[in-house]
Amino acid sequence: MSVKAFELVPAVERDLLMGDKARINIECIECCGKHLYLGTNDCFIHHFLLDEVTTSKGKLSYSAQKLLHKYLGLKKPVAELRAASALERLIVLCDAIVFLVDMVTLETVPSAAGGGAKIRGVTAFCINENPVNGDPFCVEMGVLSSKRRTVQIYMVYEDRVQLVKEVNTPEQPCAVSLDGYFLCLALATQYMILNYNTGASQDLFPYSSEERKPIVKRIGREEFLLAAPGGLGMFANAEGVSQRAPVNWSESVISAAVCFPYVVALDESFITIHSMLDQQLKQTLSFRDGHILQDFEGKVILASTKAVYVLVPLPLERQIQDLLASHRVEEALILTEGAQRNIPKDKFQILHKRILQQAGFIQFGQLQFLEAKEHFRKGQLDVRELISLYPLLLPASSSFTRCHPPLHEFADLNHLAQGDQEKVLHCKKFLISYLGEVRSTEVANGCREDVDTALLKLYAEQDHESLLDLLASDNSCVLADSVPWLEKYHKFFALGLLYHYNGQDSAALQMWIRVVDGELQDSTRSDLFEYIVDFLCSSSNLDLIWKYADWALRKDPTKGVHIFTKRPQSKHLSELNPDDVITHLGKHTMALLLYLEHLVLERKSQKEKFHTHLAVLYLERVLSLLSESPRDEEQITRARERLQALLRESNLYSVQVLLGKLENCEQLLLERATLHGKLEEHDKALHILVHKLRDFPSAEAFCIWASCSRDCAYRQRLFHLLLEVYLKGNHTSAGGGVGDPEMAAVDLLNRHGEVFDAVRVLRMLPEGWSLQLLRPFLDRSVRASMHACRTSQIALGLSHSENLQLLHDRLKERKKPIYVSEKKGCHLCHNTFSEPDVVCLPGGVPVHKHCVAQRVRDSPTKSQLTNSSNHT
Amino acid sequence: MPELSKMKKPDVKVVLLGDMNVGKTSLLHRYTERKFKDTISTVGGAFFLKQWGPYNISIWDTAGREQFHGLGSMYCRGAAAIILTYDVTNWQSLSELEERFLSLTDTANHDCIYALVGNKVDLTDPKAHQSQDSDVASEDRTDSEDMRTEPQLPTPPTSPASLSGVMLQKQVTPEDAAALYGRILRYKGLDETSSQPAEKMCFETSAKTGYNVDSLFEALFDLVLPSILRQRNENQESPTVDLEECRGSSNKRAKSSCC
Repeated sequence: MSVKAFELVPAVERDLLMGDKARINIECIECCGKHLYLGTNDCFIHHFLLDEVTTSKGKLSYSAQKLLHKYLGLKKPVAELRAASALERLIVLCDAIVFLVDMVTLETVPSAAGGGAKIRGVTAFCINENPVNGDPFCVEMGVLSSKRRTVQIYMVYEDRVQLVKEVNTPEQPCAVSLDGYFLCLALATQYMILNYNTGASQDLFPYSSEERKPIVKRIGREEFLLAAPGGLGMFANAEGVSQRAPVNWSESVISAAVCFPYVVALDESFITIHSMLDQQLKQTLSFRDGHILQDFEGKVILASTKAVYVLVPLPLERQIQDLLASHRVEEALILTEGAQRNIPKDKFQILHKRILQQAGFIQFGQLQFLEAKEHFRKGQLDVRELISLYPLLLPASSSFTRCHPPLHEFADLNHLAQGDQEKVLHCKKFLISYLGEVRSTEVANGCREDVDTALLKLYAEQDHESLLDLLASDNSCVLADSVPWLEKYHKFFALGLLYHYNGQDSAALQMWIRVVDGELQDSTRSDLFEYIVDFLCSSSNLDLIWKYADWALRKDPTKGVHIFTKRPQSKHLSELNPDDVITHLGKHTMALLLYLEHLVLERKSQKEKFHTHLAVLYLERVLSLLSESPRDEEQITRARERLQALLRESNLYSVQVLLGKLENCEQLLLERATLHGKLEEHDKALHILVHKLRDFPSAEAFCIWASCSRDCAYRQRLFHLLLEVYLKGNHTSAGGGVGDPEMAAVDLLNRHGEVFDAVRVLRMLPEGWSLQLLRPFLDRSVRASMHACRTSQIALGLSHSENLQLLHDRLKERKKPIYVSEKKGCHLCHNTFSEPDVVCLPGGVPVHKHCVAQRVRDSPTKSQLTNSSNHT
Repeated sequence: MPELSKMKKPDVKVVLLGDMNVGKTSLLHRYTERKFKDTISTVGGAFFLKQWGPYNISIWDTAGREQFHGLGSMYCRGAAAIILTYDVTNWQSLSELEERFLSLTDTANHDCIYALVGNKVDLTDPKAHQSQDSDVASEDRTDSEDMRTEPQLPTPPTSPASLSGVMLQKQVTPEDAAALYGRILRYKGLDETSSQPAEKMCFETSAKTGYNVDSLFEALFDLVLPSILRQRNENQESPTVDLEECRGSSNKRAKSSCC
C-alpha cells in the first residue's frame, strides 16, 4: 500500500556542479531561501540560485543557476555548512575547524579584535533553531569537540564567536541537536537529553554508535527524532518522554527529516516515507548513492554524491484524492484530520467536509451504509447528492445539480449496482432509512421538497408502511411529481391523503370514492368507506359534505348518516344546521330517522319540530309495517315499542298532530291512550285502556306513569279515576272471568292500597263485595291508618319533650348566680363595689345602684332597666 | 515548525509491558476494538488514546522483543500505571517480568500503580470462555482457534465442554502472581499496607474471549484518576493558563489537594 506523497525533482544536475571531474563529491548542503550552498570533498563551496518553475503540465521543477564557487584552501572536505542569514554568514566546518564566511562573497571573515572567529577541534556542531536568547543578530551553536567529553555552547556574531557555556557529558558525544536549553546528544552507547542551563540530564535509551550512525534530529519544539535499535525512528521530547509511536524504517538509515505529517528517511538505496499519524509506510522511492537528506524551512533536499534533488510534497488534497481513489478511506481521513493545523480553519473545514462526503460515497458504493451514513452526517452532505444517484427520485421541479468536481464516480444507482437487483434494493432501503432520519433535521433545510418527494416515491415503490405516516404528517411532497408516481404504484388512498394535505379535499374524495366503487384497486384500507364517512364527518368544508353525503347515504345510509351524527363538537368546525340536514336527508328515510333519533335522543334537542317529526316517522313506520302482508310481528313490536317510548318520554311533540293521525287507527289504541294521557285526558285514556283494550296491567302502568312526576294527591286522583272506570264498566259489561274489570278493581285495591283514600273507596264499593275479597286492601289500610296515628302520637310526644328540654335550658340560664366582689368594677362608673347591693343589667352584668339610678334619670328611654331584677 | 501533536495532549499514560508473545497487543486490541485478530510482532511500540470521561488516557503497547528492550524505560517514563503482562501457560514469561522488565519501570511516576496480568487464560480455564463482553462475536473465536489449538484438535471446538479436553497445563497460578506482586512492591520500596492489595491488582484475562479485559482496564483507569487530578492540579499552579482546562474543575481541585 502506498501513497504518492512526494515527488523527487532534480535541482542541481551533475554537469552543473563538477562538469567531468569524476572525483568531486558533494559533502554537505545548505539552503536558505533560494540560495543553495554545496560543500565538496575538494574544499570548495558552490553557491547556486534555485528557482521554482512550474511547467506547462503544472509540474514543479527547479532551475539552478550557479552564482559562485570558492576554494576554502584547507584541502579537506567541507564537512558542514550552516547559514546564519541574519548575519549574512555561512558557518563552515572543515578540517575540524569552524569558521565564518560571507554568504555573498564566500570570503572568510577575518577575526575581529577581542574575539576569535574560529573554533578548533570540532567534530560536529548544530544551530539552535529555538534559542532562549532573543537576540536576532546572533546565532546559538552547540559544538562537539573531538577531544574532550564536553558540549560547548557558542554565540556566533557577525565577526566573532563567543563561548558561553561548556557542559560535561559522561561519554564522548558524537551527534547533537539543540532546542532551547535542551541538548539532545548521541553518546557512544546511548542517547540523552541534557539541559545546559541547569545541568540536569535525562537518559533516553541505549544505542551503539559504533554499530550504526546515530541520528539526532530536532523536529519541533522540544521534540527530537532519534534512530533507535531495530531500525526504528523514535520520538523523544525534552523530558525524555516519547509522545508518538515510533516509525519502523530500515536498519541502515543515513539521515531523516520530518515534513509533516511524514517522516522521510534515507538509506543506501531508498527514500522511505512514513506517516507520523499512523506509523505506516506510505511511499518508497528508489534513490541510489544518496547520502544527504535535510529539510530547510519545510523543503526537503537530498543529495547523492554528485547531484542535488528536491523532494517536493504533493499537495495535500492531491494525496488525499489519491487515497480516496484507491478506496483507502480511513487513511485519507487520518491524513486530512492530521493536517488540520497546517491549513487555515475555513479552508480546512471545506476540505474536511468534502473528504468526508467522498469517503461516504466510497463506503456507500461498497454498501457499508453505517459508515457511509456517519460520514455523510459529519460531512454535512447535501442529501440531494445522494438522492440524485437514484433515477427519477428528485422532483422535476428540483433545481439541484450535482456538485463539481463530482463527489463520486457513479452515474446512478444502476451503474453502481451493475445490474445487481439485490444491491439496488439494499441501497434503496438505506436511502429510506437515511432520508427518514434527516428529513426532520437541519440537513434537509432548503431542500425539504426534494427530500420528502424522494421519500414518498421510495415508500410507494417499496410498499413501505411509513408512506401513510409521511402523508398524514407535516410534509413537503411536490404534488405534481408525486401524483403520477402514486398512481403508478396504485397508492390511491395515499394519493387521496396527499390531495387532502394540499387542500384538495374534493380530489381526495373523488379518488377514494372511485376506490370504494371498485373503479380503482388499492387495498391499503379495507374500511375506506368508513374512512370517507369519518373524513366528511370532521370536514370543515360544508359544500364538500353536501356534495358527497348523498353518495355515502346511498352506499350505506346507516353508516352514511354518521357524517351528520358523529360530527365532533368543536370550535374549528362550523355547526351544521339541523334543518338543512333534515331537508337534505329528505329522500333517505332511514338516514333521516337515524338523524332525528340522534337529535332527539342523544343531543336532547328541545325543538318541538324534531320531536314531532320523529314521532310521525315512527308512526309511519309502524303503519307501513301494519299494512304489509304478511305481517312481521316481531318488527311491528319493535317499531311500536320505539314509538311508545318516544310518546311516553318526550313532552315536546305536538300531541294533536299525532292524535289526528291516530284517530282512525284502531290498532294503535295503546299509543292513543298515551297521547290522551299527555293531554291529561286521563278518563279518555283509561277508558280506552280498560274498555277498548281491556288491558288492565297497562291501565295500572298508565296511572303510575302519568303521575310519576306529580304529588301524591294527583296520583290518588288518578287511581280513584281508574277504580271508578273499573266499577262503572261493571254495569255495562257484566261478564265474569279474569278479564273482569271488577276483579281488576279488587286487584288494584289489593296491590296499591296505600294510594287510595280508604274511606272514599269504601263508599264507592258495591255492597255485595265480600270482606274476604278486599282483605289485603283493608288490612293494609287499617294498618296504615293505625301506623299513621301512632307515628303522629310519637311525633307529638317527641316535640313535647323537646319543648320541655328547651324550657329547662332557658331557666337554667336565667338562674345563674351573679358574682360581686371588691375586685370587680362597675360597668358604668368603673369603680369597685363596696357593698353587696347591686343592680344587675340583662346578661348578668352587675352595676352600682346609684349608677343605674343616674342612668335612668339621664335617659328616660332606658327606663326599662329599672324593671330588671335585683339580686345579691 | 508546525505543531506536531495531532490530538489532545494525553492526561495520563498507561504502559503495557511483558515478554514477547504474551498478548499485549491483543489485549489492547480487544479492549479498543472489541475484536481478537491476528497480530504481528510489535515493532518498537504503538499507542492508543482512550477517552475516559473527560480525560485522555494514552495506552502504550510496547514491543516484547529483546531487540527493543532498551526503549522500554522511555515508554515508562512518567507512566501512571504499568500493566505487567505474562502468559499463564508459560512460566518463563512471568520470571522475565521480574528479571528484565521490572527495572524498566524505574522511570515511571513515583506513585505509579502496577497490575499483573496473566493472559491466555482461555487455554487453561473453561470459565474464561464466558466473556463478560456481550459483544464478543463467536466468529472471531473460531478463526483464531486454528492458530493455537489446531495441532491438538482436528476440528475447531465450539463449546467449552469440548475444549476442556485439550486444556493446556497452567504454569502460573494466581498465587505465583500475587507473590511476584509482593516482590514488586518491595523492589519499589512501597509499603504493602498502603499500596493496592495483590488480589485487586492481579488479573487473569483472555484477549481471545474478552474475559476480564474490560474490568482490567476500567479498574486501572479508576485507580489512575487521582494521578490525573494531581497532574492537572500541578498544571493549574503553573503560570501558563490552559484555556481548555479552566472550566468546572474547581471541585476536583479541592478534592485532590488533600492527598
